[in-house]
Amino acid sequence: MYLIANIIVCVCAIGGFVYGGAQFFQPKKALYAQMITLSLGCIAFGRIFNIVRLLTGGSLTDGFSLGFLGMIGSLMFFFSANYGTVDSIVDEGLKQYKNYRLLALAAPFMAAVMYVGLFLIDTEMLFIYQLLGAVLTVFIMLATYYHMKHMIFPDVDFGIGKCLRPYNLLGLLYAMSIFVEFYALSQDNELFTLISCIATGLIISLMIPTIVRGIKKWTT
Amino acid sequence: MDNLIYILYICMFVPLLLSLPLIHKTSRRIMVFMLIGISAALFISEVNGLLLRLMNYETLYVTTTITPVTEEIIKAIPVLIYAFVISDNREKLLSSSFALGIGFALFENTYILINSMDAVSIEWAVIRGFSTALMHGICTAAVGFGMSFVKKKKKLFYCGTFALLMLAIIYHGIFNMLVQSESLKYFGFVLPLATYIPVVINLIKKFRESRRAEKELAAAAKEKAAEAEESTAEEQTAKVEEQITNAEEQTVKAE
Repeated sequence: MYLIANIIVCVCAIGGFVYGGAQFFQPKKALYAQMITLSLGCIAFGRIFNIVRLLTGGSLTDGFSLGFLGMIGSLMFFFSANYGTVDSIVDEGLKQYKNYRLLALAAPFMAAVMYVGLFLIDTEMLFIYQLLGAVLTVFIMLATYYHMKHMIFPDVDFGIGKCLRPYNLLGLLYAMSIFVEFYALSQDNELFTLISCIATGLIISLMIPTIVRGIKKWTT
Repeated sequence: MDNLIYILYICMFVPLLLSLPLIHKTSRRIMVFMLIGISAALFISEVNGLLLRLMNYETLYVTTTITPVTEEIIKAIPVLIYAFVISDNREKLLSSSFALGIGFALFENTYILINSMDAVSIEWAVIRGFSTALMHGICTAAVGFGMSFVKKKKKLFYCGTFALLMLAIIYHGIFNMLVQSESLKYFGFVLPLATYIPVVINLIKKFRESRRAEKELAAAAKEKAAEAEESTAEEQTAKVEEQITNAEEQTVKAE
């Protein structure tokens, strides 16, 4: 079942990566969208690693595998896209919007609470999963802060934040679904992993069309 | 022989080092990075040996999970220093990091060749030449690409390079796992070529486009210069004609 789950995510990520590549890897196209496309490439690579590992007789439940880095890399690309390219346009650093910045901390706070609740309270969990869960949570916290911030931040000047809200919602859902997937994997729960992978696949297959629509809306 | 790896390193490193003063500037940079790659391979062999001992000689696990991480990080460090200290030019970084990866693979291949003399063949050489060398080159070049943002967009550099490093590590891991499996090893041999060929075609296309644009610009500049020359010649003839008519008028007046 792990194989099917990873194949589903991999196919969706490759589809998104190819579509995003065709749409955005051209001169004078938004770097923001290119980063998100690369993120899908990272997801695809991570899943290919998992698939190859399973096909060559390996297991995904024996602790750390490089497929885990696919999740980390994708979160890093999402974070990088929001923090490195769009954040300075959405948030000009005005004091009057301080509350929105504080409110955006709710997403990383939720991730931290989920980590403590699911990984730390369970005393039977292997240390390696607790450690990897902590690493994943840190990167989820980084990415979700900006997803949340760009979702709630009032867009007064440029209008780009408003157009990218659906994508940022998908970003938040993606972070949640991979967190759940990793927890299911740590419990060796195949069915739960499959369900979360189907959700992940659905979310990432919607990402690029949402970005295309958002950018089109913003530029017209 | 205990010190075989060091002997091999000296035999490869010293002649290449001595050739450096005789090489042209651009080629020298490439050669320096190849030398760094060779040195990185020597260093990593020690690190990997240590890790293998720590992991109770579980070769498959170490080569598919641990060594991609250590190798990609060690290969990225010299490129990072170059990007910070000397130049963050994307073309330079790409070629330098690719050369570093190739140098790394060169030393690795030679060491494996000497260590397993009985098992190697022409087929082995072709496969390792095309697959391993390209894989190392591609992985380091991908990280080098991210480092080109070091001074231009710092916010992108830190996270983007880290993300690209993750991508390179996974790619390396997939390759190592594929080539070590019995049923899927041919996919592993093809993987780097399948990545390299589209990139090279794209680069050639871009290069041709830029050359075409340069030619068009040069032709346009030539046309403009010719037009300017023509107009100045016409002006000069008009002036001479004016002078002649003036002179004629003056002679008529004088008469």
